[in-house]
Amino acid sequence: MKFFKMSPASKRQFARFKSIKRGYWSFVIFMSLILVSVFLELFISERALLVKYENKYYFPTYGHQIPGNVFGLDYEYETNYRELHEKFAGSSDNFVVLPLVPWGPLENDLEARYDQNSKRLYPPFAPEYARKHYLGTDSTGRDILARLFYGFRIAIAFSIFLLFINYFAGIMIGCFMGWLGGRTDLYMQRFIEVLSNIPFLYVVMIVASIVTPTFYSLGFIMAAFGWISMTWYMRTATYREKARDYILAARSIGATDFRIIFKHIIPNSLALILTFIPFSISEAIVSLTSLDFLGYGLPPPTPSWGGLLDEGVRTLSAYWILASVVTAMVIVLILVTFMGEAIREAFDPKRHTTYE
Amino acid sequence: MTSYILKRLFWIVPTFLGITLIVFAITRFVPGGPLEQVLMRGALMGAEGGKNIKMDASSGGAALSNEQLASLKAYYGFDRPWYQSYVLWLGKVLTFDLGRSTRYNEPVGALIWSKLPISTYYGILTMLITYLICIPLGIWKAIRHNSFFDYISSILVFIGYSLPAYVVAIILLVVFASNLEWFPLGGFTSSDFSEYTFFSKIIDLIEHSVLPLTAYVLGSFAMMTFLMKNTLMENLSADYVRTAIAKGVSFRKAVFSHAVRNSLIPMATHFGQNISVILTGSFLIEKIFNIDGLGLLGYESLVERDYPVVMGTLVVSSILFLIGNILSDFAVALVDPRIQFK
Repeated sequence: MKFFKMSPASKRQFARFKSIKRGYWSFVIFMSLILVSVFLELFISERALLVKYENKYYFPTYGHQIPGNVFGLDYEYETNYRELHEKFAGSSDNFVVLPLVPWGPLENDLEARYDQNSKRLYPPFAPEYARKHYLGTDSTGRDILARLFYGFRIAIAFSIFLLFINYFAGIMIGCFMGWLGGRTDLYMQRFIEVLSNIPFLYVVMIVASIVTPTFYSLGFIMAAFGWISMTWYMRTATYREKARDYILAARSIGATDFRIIFKHIIPNSLALILTFIPFSISEAIVSLTSLDFLGYGLPPPTPSWGGLLDEGVRTLSAYWILASVVTAMVIVLILVTFMGEAIREAFDPKRHTTYE
Repeated sequence: MTSYILKRLFWIVPTFLGITLIVFAITRFVPGGPLEQVLMRGALMGAEGGKNIKMDASSGGAALSNEQLASLKAYYGFDRPWYQSYVLWLGKVLTFDLGRSTRYNEPVGALIWSKLPISTYYGILTMLITYLICIPLGIWKAIRHNSFFDYISSILVFIGYSLPAYVVAIILLVVFASNLEWFPLGGFTSSDFSEYTFFSKIIDLIEHSVLPLTAYVLGSFAMMTFLMKNTLMENLSADYVRTAIAKGVSFRKAVFSHAVRNSLIPMATHFGQNISVILTGSFLIEKIFNIDGLGLLGYESLVERDYPVVMGTLVVSSILFLIGNILSDFAVALVDPRIQFK
């Protein structure tokens, strides 16, 4: 794979990226966040990590639900591991290991709570350490931390999915336009101009009124408009590369168009493509959040930042909802932006002169 | 030059037709249009009179006679195939008649015209403030590249850049309007605005504008600042600035009368592209601050399926966008004599 072997130039770029501390550490933190969100059930879940009961070990995190009567409880629906944890607390033989946050994103914690005057409280509950709602709950008693992380997982999966479609379509169509040029290019340009003028929100709202959007349908609608910017860059890049001597050389020794595009033009534009990735990711996260905020995104009860944002705005007295989701957004988007700036700087061959 | 202008203007026509045709077709094929809404209301009223509720269009006869249905269809223009109504609609647009809103029963043109000043007020102020802050800040950051000030301001600008404008709007609203109560909770002016004296009218307007303007400005702030900084730094390392300094021109003069002038070129390109945003506003910010502008009108008409208004706002915004694109090319050519029209 010549594609992935590091040339001296890319080694130098990587070293330069590493030397930009702010961006490098953002990259490390962001990658760890993605890793955590892939194995999120091990950190935040209503299911226990490990149960030891009558000398047998159970790992309930993945796989089928384990009914309560397996652990000597008197019900057949899924075990409530938090209660099991309390029940086993006294015994030395049986034990339950709970995840850091023992709440699932869809679980409602509606247990009665009382204030000092023994007046009953109703959700949203403020952060409480005792029940391990570290960021409190929303107005239906769902744990905010769990919803934030599961929402992040969906958002990041969504943006990576979108990234692949957009970049694949954008690179192909952009190369095609730039390589053929002339009339094809002109007509495609008009088509893109029409498409980029159709308010994207109109289409999403209209589609949402016919069918409930799902992860994939929403992805494809967004991709129907999202491929444009990559196409534009790739078209310019192809025009630029096409005029270079090495392309002429390749052509004159009889290389096919296909070979020139895939072996020369695309690999040589890879640096350009790479610098856009972080910005595409933050754009996708923001668009999904905005759609969810307006109520045209993934349907409830899917955990989403936009939904939390909307709820936070509607229940301002429960300040912890809005504060949590805004903080999470700020952190993630800043990490992505720092990362993007560092990548851009690492690939920029120009070093700036300053005068004293 | 003239042929270039004509060519560009000519290409507006097919693009405009394409945009309106697609959106028009979409509005016709989506359920829940104005006709269905009237029928549903009729069915509900019929149900209150003791009849069965049936929501589908065929049972609309429960409340409406066939003649009424036909006249309703004719009123909303649903009595012909969609391409015929598109041509009819287009013909009306060419005579500057955008139809009547199905929700307000007012001419769409007048409706848009009445909202335009509000969005334009914010748009122009936003642009002025953005340029007034970003250009000096960009220059300063370029000259003091890698200094402590540059570093700190970059982080602040990045934070502003990474947050979408409407999230900033929410934060501002919660902190400054809801908690601290320094500013009103939204709206363009107070409800008893017309009774105020001239002076307190201005105060009232300013009070209502501070938060939305901040949200608007923060949205375009970061990009403009970095554009200014980066192009200025590129120009500062160009040979002609070095030559000027070698000749003995003072650094100050080299920057301000040579480099800055050239760095303003990319800023000019953005002017034209922003024209539609300037005039139509952002519906999210208008929604959050409850500003009754063009963006909010477009959004609400879409939610309410008020298609004449949807199409009307689309006509206005797409024409502005297409003209804006041409204008920005001209702006670039005006400030940069190296660019030639082909």
